[in-house]
Amino acid sequence: MAEVLNRTAAQRQPTWNTRGLNSATEQVGNWFLNPNWNNSMDQSDPFESALSSMVSSPAAASNVPVSGENVMMRELIGKLGNICNSGDASCYSTPLNSPPRLNLSMVNLPNQSTLAPFSADPGFADRAARLSCFSTGGNFGGLNDPLMDSFKLSGNQSVNVNGTQSNQNSPMAGNSGSDKKNTGVSRSSSPENAESGVSKEESSVSQQIPSRNDAGTRKRKSIPRGKAKETPSPAAADDKVASENDESNSKRSKRDGAPAGNGNAKATNDGDEKRSKENSKPPEPPKDYIHVRARRGQATDSHSLAERVRREKISERMKFLQDLVPGCNKVIGKAVMLDEIINYVQSLQRQVEFLSMKLATVNPRMDVNMEALLSKMFQSRGLLPQGIYSMDSSAQAFPFGYQPQQGLPLNNGIPNITETQFSMKTQGFQLPSINGFTDANPQVGSVWEDDLQSIVQMGFGQNQPQSYQGSITTGQVKIEL
Amino acid sequence: MNPSSLKSRFATRFLRALTQIHARKPICPSSPTEIFRRYRRIKAAADKSMAYSVRSRRTWTGAVLWKLRSRSCGRRSVKTSTLVKSQQAIEKKTRHEKQNKNTTTTTGGHGVGFGVEATASELRELVPGGEAMDYCNLLDETAHYIKCLTTQVKVMKKIADFYSL
Repeated sequence: MAEVLNRTAAQRQPTWNTRGLNSATEQVGNWFLNPNWNNSMDQSDPFESALSSMVSSPAAASNVPVSGENVMMRELIGKLGNICNSGDASCYSTPLNSPPRLNLSMVNLPNQSTLAPFSADPGFADRAARLSCFSTGGNFGGLNDPLMDSFKLSGNQSVNVNGTQSNQNSPMAGNSGSDKKNTGVSRSSSPENAESGVSKEESSVSQQIPSRNDAGTRKRKSIPRGKAKETPSPAAADDKVASENDESNSKRSKRDGAPAGNGNAKATNDGDEKRSKENSKPPEPPKDYIHVRARRGQATDSHSLAERVRREKISERMKFLQDLVPGCNKVIGKAVMLDEIINYVQSLQRQVEFLSMKLATVNPRMDVNMEALLSKMFQSRGLLPQGIYSMDSSAQAFPFGYQPQQGLPLNNGIPNITETQFSMKTQGFQLPSINGFTDANPQVGSVWEDDLQSIVQMGFGQNQPQSYQGSITTGQVKIEL
Repeated sequence: MNPSSLKSRFATRFLRALTQIHARKPICPSSPTEIFRRYRRIKAAADKSMAYSVRSRRTWTGAVLWKLRSRSCGRRSVKTSTLVKSQQAIEKKTRHEKQNKNTTTTTGGHGVGFGVEATASELRELVPGGEAMDYCNLLDETAHYIKCLTTQVKVMKKIADFYSL
């Protein structure tokens, strides 16, 4: 099989037809060899846009039922896989089981948009994507080095687009299987070049795929999108990445989301997320990747895929909730976690009710509004010492500007006292000032003075909040009367 | 402290409402009925100020405000026509969302597990506006709701401590 691959590698595009790997590869190779296709791929500029346009146009126009697409896709992938199977059984054998004959004509998707030269195989793109995914998805060990080397030779010539990263793009061969592997390699090996990677990916994909069906586009779109998303949100939290991907991908996913529905969109989005994660960490094996794609022996239809994506999202959110709810770290398992969450929410709601009841029973002190607000803000902001000093100075200044009107000053005095008492609690040196306060203004109302003195004495004596509480309330009662 | 954080926004709003509530001078301020009435008003003010302080669009805030408005309007029976219309609109929306939820949760239930759905329904009852959401969004809303509830509890605790001193 190495010889076969070597043969493909050695072939140049025009001669590919003549070489006979097997019928499947031949047909596959035909698509690559199409000169029109090459010309269309010469523009290296807006690969992303080109790809997106290609993606969108078939996606928007196609109304192929998902199931049909999936069937065709599966067959195509299987056929493609068999090509690879011939080369490396371990990588692709399991998910790709189909007859070796690659019958591309059976795939009839309606949209042959921009890349007309391609014998319209929209599933090809999907296969390409899948294979590239497979190649990147931890199957690199399976890829033999000679394979990659052989692919390198043909890859560089066949794919014009990957000029920027030709070195890394080495495995971009004309061979579909190798090409997919190569894209996978390039993707994993060059995570930092997200954009160029995207362009590469798209270029390779676009070369092979004239049109896309929704199920197919799901996978492929996720690759470039994942790459595109990787740069803007490499450090974002998982849910943020997911949400960002969702938002930015909504346009694309909506384009082709009509038949596939939310599940596919979620699949793409999650795939993007996974891919972005994977791209951001190139050297480590992309385990998350596999979860998005079809696992071994698991169905690859859109429903199970969407299900898996949904499950990933839910587990992600459960993890986030675990951090929020205290004491949930030891708990493992969704049901128990949910119970914990429910208990916590109930307890919080009950606490709110209890506190509001407490606030209702507390004797309202309307005059304390602004000072209360300020002090509370000060306390919460940790500016307590400074706030107390300012209050203290205002308390000192207060009696001097004070007119013997007992109604207003009394009301205003109380908060000053409370403030100073708070400060006394913390520092305990405003007492002299209060004493001075009382001494300096003998014309203060008798009630006022009595209260002050009682409060001060109590404060001096015990210097405890409970005493203050008692003094304040007694003072209040007196003054209110 | 961040002056524009959720905490400070909620605190200012709630304190303002609290002072308004305390400004009412009933005949006997310490009677149980009066206390209960004040309790209800304070709780409503807390929920309302929390819902208004939230910057991001959340389902539960709308549900909280709608519940408060419907409750208050139901009691006073003022502007029933507009309220009924808005209620019908919201009910239609929730019905539609429920249908969607049913379609999604059937698949979701299959994937998540039947037992989980039972607890999820319990969670739906707890989180305002949770009846009309799919499981994934429900978890999102729950996280945000928990965060806001903890803020609420912290601020109210501080205020209660301050008042009781």
